[in-house]
Amino acid sequence: MNQIKSLTIVVLILVALLILVIVRSSDKNLFKKEVRTAIEATQNNSNTISLDQLKKQTRSWIVVNLGSEDLPDFLHSENSIHLPVENILDQTNRKILGEAKGDLILYSNDEAMAAKTWVILNQLGFENVFILNTGSNPEVLKYKFQPDTTARLEQDSM
Amino acid sequence: MNARIKYSVLLIGVGIILAFLPFNASLSFRLKPSELLAKLVADESYFSVDQVARFLNNEDSTGQLIDVRSTGQFKECNIPGSINIPFSDFTNPLWEGYLNQKEMKNIYYGNDGQTASYAWAIATGLGYGNNFVMKGGLNEWFKTVMLSQFSGEKITPLENARFENRLNARKVFTQVNSLPDSLKTKYFNAKRLIESKLDGGCE
Repeated sequence: MNQIKSLTIVVLILVALLILVIVRSSDKNLFKKEVRTAIEATQNNSNTISLDQLKKQTRSWIVVNLGSEDLPDFLHSENSIHLPVENILDQTNRKILGEAKGDLILYSNDEAMAAKTWVILNQLGFENVFILNTGSNPEVLKYKFQPDTTARLEQDSM
Repeated sequence: MNARIKYSVLLIGVGIILAFLPFNASLSFRLKPSELLAKLVADESYFSVDQVARFLNNEDSTGQLIDVRSTGQFKECNIPGSINIPFSDFTNPLWEGYLNQKEMKNIYYGNDGQTASYAWAIATGLGYGNNFVMKGGLNEWFKTVMLSQFSGEKITPLENARFENRLNARKVFTQVNSLPDSLKTKYFNAKRLIESKLDGGCE
């Protein structure tokens, strides 16, 4: 019994340590996923969806309008919510996103904004989040570089 | 009970707690979500193609252009002076020295804005500073710099300066990208030599 009593301080230290570990690992205000998962999810644009694909999709979905403007006419549907990007991490909005049934389709007329928001949501552990591409594939170079066949080093011409 | 036993129990206890912790050897974000979102919303993370053209013309060493496209696309054409860190290989420790530094601004670009924005968000989330995106990527570069034309009768000094900046950048872009890889470095050395002669410097 005496031996157990003398171990009280040690046990208290261990309990405090355990509480700290539990608090830290259950903190929702921290990113917990590996960065690699975001990079892998973007390969072959598998995290984007075109308008045609969306129209044909049989799974349920909800468009999340991140911008300050209204959704374009072709996107008006009952399946949409307006969550301005600056408020997307508010507790209420996070709850809405977490409880949404089906895929979350991010829309913004600023594609960079949608891409950055996608990374944040992905790293927070939200599954089935996609970026809506309303045009053609944005990551294709639309121009062809025409080399100058007469180009040579200026030094050579001196 | 002596101190040695107490310490032993403490160490074993800590060891048990550590053993049950999820071990994560991979990279994960250091910034808090709210901090990253604040940086995203601040909208101070962009360079226009005209600004990048000025960087190129002045060979400004305060900025580091990072092409996040694939190696194949990079070889086809790139903004001279940029380094290629394909987004698929972004977390390779080899690149950390380039990405995690405080001396230069990291200006990411891809074909458009999407991949560069992923790179911006990941680099910023990892706690690396000085991250920027070239707005519109190479598509905007081609549209604004490579294909810019002046039509009109009068040109203001401001428009003239902008047009000249684009013209010079276009010239460098075309010349360098038309050269075989082995001569690209030689091009910049030759250019510096000419400039040093014009400035009255020594060879």
